[in-house]
Order: sequence, then structure tokens, then C-alpha cells
Amino acid sequence: MIEVRGLKKSIRNGSRTIEILKHIDLLVPSGQFVAIMGASGSGKSTLLGLLAGLDSPTAGEVLIDGTEISRLPEDKLAEVRGRKLGFVFQSFQLIPTLTALENVLLPHELNGSGNGRVAAEDLLRSVGLGDRMHHYPIQLSGGEQQRVALARAFVLQPPIIFADEPTGNLDSENGAHVLDLLLKRNRTSGATLVLVTHDAQVSSHADRRIVLRDGSIVEDTMQRPA
Amino acid sequence: MGTNQKPTLTWASAAKIAWRELQASRAKFLFVILSVAIGVAALTGVRGFSDSFQKTLLGEARTIMAADLSARMFRQPTQQEEQQLNVLASHGIQRTEVSDTVSMVSSPGDPVPLLVSLKAVDPRQYPFYGTVVLEPAGDLRQVLTDATVVVAEDLLIRLHTQVGASLKIGDSTFRIAAVLVREPDRMSSGMGLGPRVMMTQSALEKSGLLQQGSRSGERFLFKLSSNSGNIATVRARLEQVLPDAQVTDFRESNPALTDGLKRSTGLLSLICLVAMVLGAIGVAMAMRAHLQQRVEVLAIMKSIGARSSDILRIYLFQTVLLGLVGGLIGASLGLGVEWIFPSLLGRFLPIHLDLQFPWHSALAGLGTGILTTVLFCLPPLLQIRSVRPNLVLRRMVEEPSAQRSLWTRLRQSKAQWIIATVILLGLGAIAAALSDSVVVGRWFAGALCALLLVILGVSALTLRVLRAFLSRTRMHLQSAVRHGLANLYRPGNQSAAVLAALGVGVMLILTVFLMQHGVIGEMKLTSGPNLPNIFLVDISSKELDGVKHLLAQQPAVRGDVETLPSVAGRIISVDGTAAEGLKLKNYPQRLLQTVSLTWSRELPEGSTMAQGTWWDKDDGQSLVVTEHIAQRLQLHLGSRIVFTSNGRTMQTNVVAIIRHNGQHVYSRSEFILTPRALAGLPVVWYGAAHVDPSQVGAVQRALFNAYPTVTVINIADVIETIQGVVQQITIVVRFLAAFSILAGAVILASSIASTQFRRVREVVVLKTLGAKRNHIAAVFSVEFIVLGLLAGLVGVIFANLLSRVLLHRLDVAFHVEWLATALALVGTAVLATVTGWAASFRMLGQKPLQVLREE
Repeated sequence: MIEVRGLKKSIRNGSRTIEILKHIDLLVPSGQFVAIMGASGSGKSTLLGLLAGLDSPTAGEVLIDGTEISRLPEDKLAEVRGRKLGFVFQSFQLIPTLTALENVLLPHELNGSGNGRVAAEDLLRSVGLGDRMHHYPIQLSGGEQQRVALARAFVLQPPIIFADEPTGNLDSENGAHVLDLLLKRNRTSGATLVLVTHDAQVSSHADRRIVLRDGSIVEDTMQRPA
Repeated sequence: MGTNQKPTLTWASAAKIAWRELQASRAKFLFVILSVAIGVAALTGVRGFSDSFQKTLLGEARTIMAADLSARMFRQPTQQEEQQLNVLASHGIQRTEVSDTVSMVSSPGDPVPLLVSLKAVDPRQYPFYGTVVLEPAGDLRQVLTDATVVVAEDLLIRLHTQVGASLKIGDSTFRIAAVLVREPDRMSSGMGLGPRVMMTQSALEKSGLLQQGSRSGERFLFKLSSNSGNIATVRARLEQVLPDAQVTDFRESNPALTDGLKRSTGLLSLICLVAMVLGAIGVAMAMRAHLQQRVEVLAIMKSIGARSSDILRIYLFQTVLLGLVGGLIGASLGLGVEWIFPSLLGRFLPIHLDLQFPWHSALAGLGTGILTTVLFCLPPLLQIRSVRPNLVLRRMVEEPSAQRSLWTRLRQSKAQWIIATVILLGLGAIAAALSDSVVVGRWFAGALCALLLVILGVSALTLRVLRAFLSRTRMHLQSAVRHGLANLYRPGNQSAAVLAALGVGVMLILTVFLMQHGVIGEMKLTSGPNLPNIFLVDISSKELDGVKHLLAQQPAVRGDVETLPSVAGRIISVDGTAAEGLKLKNYPQRLLQTVSLTWSRELPEGSTMAQGTWWDKDDGQSLVVTEHIAQRLQLHLGSRIVFTSNGRTMQTNVVAIIRHNGQHVYSRSEFILTPRALAGLPVVWYGAAHVDPSQVGAVQRALFNAYPTVTVINIADVIETIQGVVQQITIVVRFLAAFSILAGAVILASSIASTQFRRVREVVVLKTLGAKRNHIAAVFSVEFIVLGLLAGLVGVIFANLLSRVLLHRLDVAFHVEWLATALALVGTAVLATVTGWAASFRMLGQKPLQVLREE
């Protein structure tokens, strides 16, 4: 479960202070698929970053399964990210010097114990990349890279998955494939899915739709029961 | 939430990732490896070569004394002293005795006796170093027996005799076996009266000459072995064992040689340190650039759960690997350079170099390479901690660490201070370990710290001033200038790093140049072509003008004839204590009875002031003493010495302490009074002149014919050896300085080039907006000219300050070299601009889309 209380984020730009998020309260129960929408600059990605502990808020707190993460020391936070959270980004963010398999194995090497190779290979096969395991990111298409990123996000079976415009850089066919894989993960393993998107078509698959404008939640709609 | 101990990234995984990155950016890492390699190569080559070189020079210095150590005294050792000397012998220290005395000799057919300076040696051991040259050629061990003597050529001339004839010394008769052409320690045994006669110790004992109470001085020569400890320890021990002996070691045998050695050691140490730091700067700059390029990868890794320590492990592995590979290549290159040196310099080097495989310097180079690589990479490595994982979501709008100055960051971060301290301590330790010259090591580390602090201040101040300047003049400036200046403080800029690297680099390179310039200038003075190479002993006041005139007429004599008046005197008391009660430091009491007093109106040629000032009024009381005698008699400025000579008592005060360079006739003087103090007393004159070495014999004969009582001491061959060695030092120092300056410039140029990746994005944006190449090049040129000038300014100021201190410490005069300084300043700006521009040139040709796609 994700719980957000009085979350604020502002940044200083020269002599000005810009408020990116203004007092956000939010509760995401386990297993829910939440789509966060909003115009460019509305604060979507910032909110995602704060929920995932990638950044620290100016005020307020973020609790993951009851633990306040926004004030955790960097190493503790890394531990939380490794064990509890999976990430998928718009621009894939694979390590260019590692092969597809090595990229998927990396969370295992950083966090997991035991041999994760079998799981990693299974995952890559399940996302349709059984024959591309030893290719470097640069040798893969955008859709393939994003599927590697999905496999990497799933490999430690995290209870929460964050996705930032995961289909934004993909054509419709590849986009649909990636979305399908994310939905399957949410439905079959019960992972919470928090997804930032511009695309109404993508958000229509979500259990709940949150719309941000100028750093505030202006709409919070349940589209289907969790 | 699991809080149990989280496993860390294994070394194997870290190594795999590190290795992949190395492979992915081979060109960039090749540069890092090259920087380390150049630094280590310079270090290994210079150090190894200078080790061999110094051993060779020290060997030369030893031959001038014929031993490692000498103890001069006027009596035989007591039984107790003898026992202690035997203890020294059990540590592998060999000893031989040399007796110097004067005696009358005569030729059987010639009733007129002649005063000679007699030297008795044990030919089985003497000399420990160098060789005795005889004519006809022969081995001293075979030629010199208890029945024979070898004599100087002027004895044959004066006694109208020849080799093979008999010579009567005391009551014994000897056969003249050969002419003594050269004895290695001629300069160390003092200037006796009359021509040289050399005989064996046992013959001297049998002759009964010593019992007659004649002026006999004993010199014990010592030769150390590898297990007898270092020279300083043995010397200290010897001074304890023989408290009233005048102990000297080979390092004092010739001031020109030992000063040359001291200075070249200082300079070579400096060059080693410079090579090391320049290499490290190159590495640090490259690693910094590398890590900045990897920021996004770091963010991805953090976002999927990597801790800072995991990432640090990857890059630390990379750093050590780079240091190791660079170090190995550098050490091999350095060894190659060291072996190539002699063949490169062979035709210039008059002396054969004793080259040994320098395991020590190779390992030191390798170790230093790895250590400095890691040390200098610490700041960029530790910046890994500050990489924020939310970079994966967007490029930062706010980059706090980049917008604050380096100084502010330092002030606010404990870690930065700790790193800074660790680096400086590490550097200090390396400097201490590498530098054979403590002075150079200490000042070098100090200057580097001070310079870094100043650079931080200057960069903070400059950026502030620039910002204020731009906010006022913004729109009035030309676009390229405005943009170039603004680049200096854009977020994430490298200005401070480039300033520090360039500033330090310029300081080091210019310091090496100024130091070698000063040292070589000084060496030319102390080994000039017209230094005296013959000394004349026992010229009476009546003969003086005639001798001068005769020498002036000889075409083989170059320059003026130097003369030194000598009045025989005795020390009565020092600071109220009678001579007999004085506490002397390794100075035979007996020498107080016969001191040579002289006068001079001004600081004699070849002498420098150590303390006090030369007297300006001939008050008859001012006394100038040498540093050497001041130490032995424990004199200081203001000390009162009472002398007596021929019934006259002279009350004197020490007003100055001077140091001789050993090259001129006044180097023989220890007490210089005013002319008034010695006026009217009987004087004997010494002379010195430079004679074309091949004509010394002819001049000697001309002098003897006109002035048969004047003894000529020919040290032309010794002077030639010294000059050869000093020239050799000059060549090597020049060569090594040029090598390190060149290596430094290459590393610096590459460091600047390594900051260029940041500009790719900027170039692309500018091009997309329609900027032409010229405009972009102009923007970069403005930025680099300003950076270069600033760094150059700080660098040249510090180089001058550091050189001044170091040269002063090495007793070399410092003059501001305006031309070199100006060239360094302009050169830095040009170097920065040209390399910056050259590195950007490739970028200018890049298609914007290539880069934008990677975004």
C-alpha cells in the first residue's frame, strides 16, 4: 500500500521558487492499477519520483507498506527500491554496456540472493525476447528495449511497479504489447501498478484515474473496483 | 519491510560491469591509461636515471678524496681509539693511513737541499678510489717500495736529477722510481710546501723523520662496504671515536661537485614530483569527465536498488585497473627511456654511467601510478553519492551542486574536506618518499596546497565577477563573447576543475623551467671555462709582481692571476676563552697554533655571504670567517677572536660568515681580516691562474726557471674532471626538464580536451538553431582564452614564488624571468584554446540528429 500525506515539492530556480506539487494526499491500496494523467508540467513525473523514493519532498510524507520512505537515508532507500519497487521508464534506461540478460540480472546482483539467471531467462522468454538475450541495447528496437526494461522491473517480483510513460516512445503495436505485459503483471501477481501517461487509451485500462493540474489533484476517479 | 542486511554487489559483478564499460569507451580510457603511463614513465625514467647518474657522480666525488671518509689529526690514535677503530673495521670499514710532512731532500751530486712536501702511503690500499698516475706508467703497488719514492716533475727540475737516480731523505737514500703525474686526492691533502715526494708508510717510519718532531699530519682514509651502514652514521661514529680529528666525507670534497649534486638532486626530485602530479591531473580530469557522462547510468542503477557503495565498487575497480595498466606501461616505457638515455646522451657524456636495472624505481613508479590514480579519482568517485536517481525521469531543472561554487561545496561538505585532506596527506607521503631532497618535497607539497586554495578562491571570485559583469553588459556584448563568458558558469560546468588542473600544471611546468634555468646558470658560474687550474705556493712579496708579470705574458694563461696573501698567525683566545680551553668540534687543537690569516677589501671571487655583512670601514678589527671554520670553532656573528703574529696581537670581531665554492684561490682562506690589521707583517703569497691544460708543463718550467722557490700545483686534470661532471649534470637536467615539460603539456592539453563531451549537446542545439561553425568555435575560444589566462596567471605567480623559495634553499640566486613568465601566460591561453578548439572540431561536424536521438 502506498500512502501520501500533505506532499509538497518546490524547487529554486535562481531567485524564484517554483511549486511543482501542492499538498497531495493519496492512498493506493495494494494491487490497484492507478493511471496518473495531466498536461506537460502538471507534476506527474515529479509525483511518481516522490512515490518511488527517487527524490525527496519539500514537505509531507510517503509511506510504502507503512514505512515512511521520504526521509530514509540513501542506502536504506536503495534497499527499498530494490526489494519493493520496479520501474519502467519512457526512455527504457537500460545500461548500454550490458546485454539484455545482464540488464535483467542486474537487480538480482544488486539485491537478490541466489542465482537469478533462470528467472531472468524465463522472463525474457515470456516477453518474447528468448532469442535476443545476449544482444546489447543498441542492437534492439525500441519495443524490444522496453520489454527488456519490463523484465528487469519484474525480475525480483516487486509488489509495486512504477511506470513513467512506458508506451510514450513506442509505436502503437509495441505500445499495446508493453501495456499488455504490465496489465498481466498487475492482474496475475497482484502487483500495484502506478502508471503516468498522456494517453487516454492507456489510462482507460486502469482501475483508477488521477488527473493533475498545476501540482494539484483535480480529478480522482475509480473506473472499476480494485 | 525487510531491514535485514542487504547483500552488496559482488566484486565479480562489479568487475564485469567495469570491464564492459572499459570496452565500450576504449578511446577515452586509452587517454587515462596514457596519462598514467606518461606520468609513471617520466617518474620511472627520471628517477631511475638520476639514481644511476648520482651514483656515478658520487663515485667521482669519492675519487677527489680517494676515500669515503677522511679523518685528519696530528698524532697517532691512542690504544683505546685504535680498539674502537678495529671495531669499525669489523663492520667492513677499511682504513689506510696517509702521513703528510715536510722534509729536506738532496740529490747525491747536488749539495743544495730542497724542502719538499712528503706524503707517505700504504700502496697496497691507497688510493681507495681513483688511480695514481705515474710516468713511466706503472702500478703504484709495484713501483712504490720501501726503497723507492715517486716524485713530482718539478723536483727533478730543481734538483737537476732524473728517474732512476737516488734521493737522500733524512738519513736514508731512495731510488726515484717514477714521476708522480696525478694523485687523486691532491686537493684534499692541502697545499704543502715544496714539490711532492711520495713514499711508503714503512719507509717513513724507518727513515726516522717522524721522531724529529717535524710537522706531520695523519690522515686516515676509510672505505665503506655495503654492510657498514650509511655515510652519515659512520661519520658520526668516527667523530665520536676520534674527537679531535677533522672528519670530512666525500660529499665535502669539492663544493662545485657536491653543490652540483645537491642542486641536481633537488631539481630531479622536483621533476619526478611534477611528472607524478601532472599524470594524476590527467587521470582525475578524464575520470571526472567519464563519470559525468555516466551520470544517467548511475541514476538507472540507483533507481533499481544499487547503493552508492555498489556503484563506487564498480568505478573503483575500473580506476585501479586503469592505474595498474597505465602504471605497467609507464614503468616499461620509463625503463626503456632510462636505457635509451645513455645512448642518446652518450656523445655528450664524458663519464661512463654505471646503469643498474632499477627494480626499485620501476616498482616505485608502478605503486605511485596506482596510488595517485586512486587518490586523484577520489573526488569524482565520491560525487557518485550525490547523483540523484530521479534523473531517470527527467534532466534536472535544479542542479544545486553544479550551481554552487566548488568553494561553497567544500565548505558545506565534510566528506569533501576529508577527501581533500586524504589526498594532500597521500601526496605529501608520496612526495616525501619520492623526493631525495627533503626541502623540495616539503615546499612542493606546501605550494600545491596553497595553490589549490587560491585557485578555489580565484574561481569562485571570477565566476561571481563574471556574472555581475554579464548582468550589466549583457546585451552590449557580441553574441559569441556573451555566450562564451556565460559558459564559464553554466550549471555543471568544468571551469573550476579546468582552472585547477591548468593552474597546477602551469605552475609545475614553469617551476621546472625556472629551476633548471637558475641551477644551470649557477653551474656555469661555478664551472666556468677560466677557473684556476694551477696553484702557486710560496711567493714572496718581492717576487709577487714578477710572477704576475711572467704569467701575464704567457699566451697559455687565460684571465687574471688571482693572489692570496697569507700571514702565519696563532689563535690566543675565542670569546675570552684561551685557545687551550676551547671546546672544538672535530678540529685538532694543534691547528690553532698555525692559522693562515689573510685580508681582502671585498667579498672574494667565488665566495658567498652566509651571515652578516662585509665591513665597510677598515677598522682593523672586523673579521670574516668561513662557515666551515665557524662550525668547528663554534663561532657566530659577534664572536671575539684574539690572534697573534710576529709579536703583534690583534683583537677581532666576527662581522660576517661566508662560504667558498672551492674554485678560487681565496677558497684556501679561513680568516679574512682587514688590510690594516695585518699591515707590515711578513706575508707569503699564493697564486692561482687558468692555463690551457696542454700547456701547463711549459708554464711550470718557465716559472721554475725564473722563480725556482715557487711551487706549482697542477690540478688541471681535477678541474677538467669536475667541469666534465658539471657539464654532464647540465645536459641531463636540461634533457629531463624538457622531457617533463613536454609530457606535462601533452597531459594538460588532453585534460582540456576531455571536458569537451559536455559541449556536444550545446553544439547540437546551437546548430539546430542555425549557428555556423565559426560562431560555435568563437564561443568556445572566448571561454578557453579566459580560462587559460586565469589559470596561467595563477600558475605563473605560484611558479615564480615556488622557484624563488626552492632556488634560495639550494643556494642559487633567483631572478624573475619575464620572458619565460610572459610566454607561459600566453602559452597557457593558446594551449587551452587550441586544444579546446581541436577537441570540439570533431563535434562541429556531428549531425544534430545523432545526438538528439541519444537524448
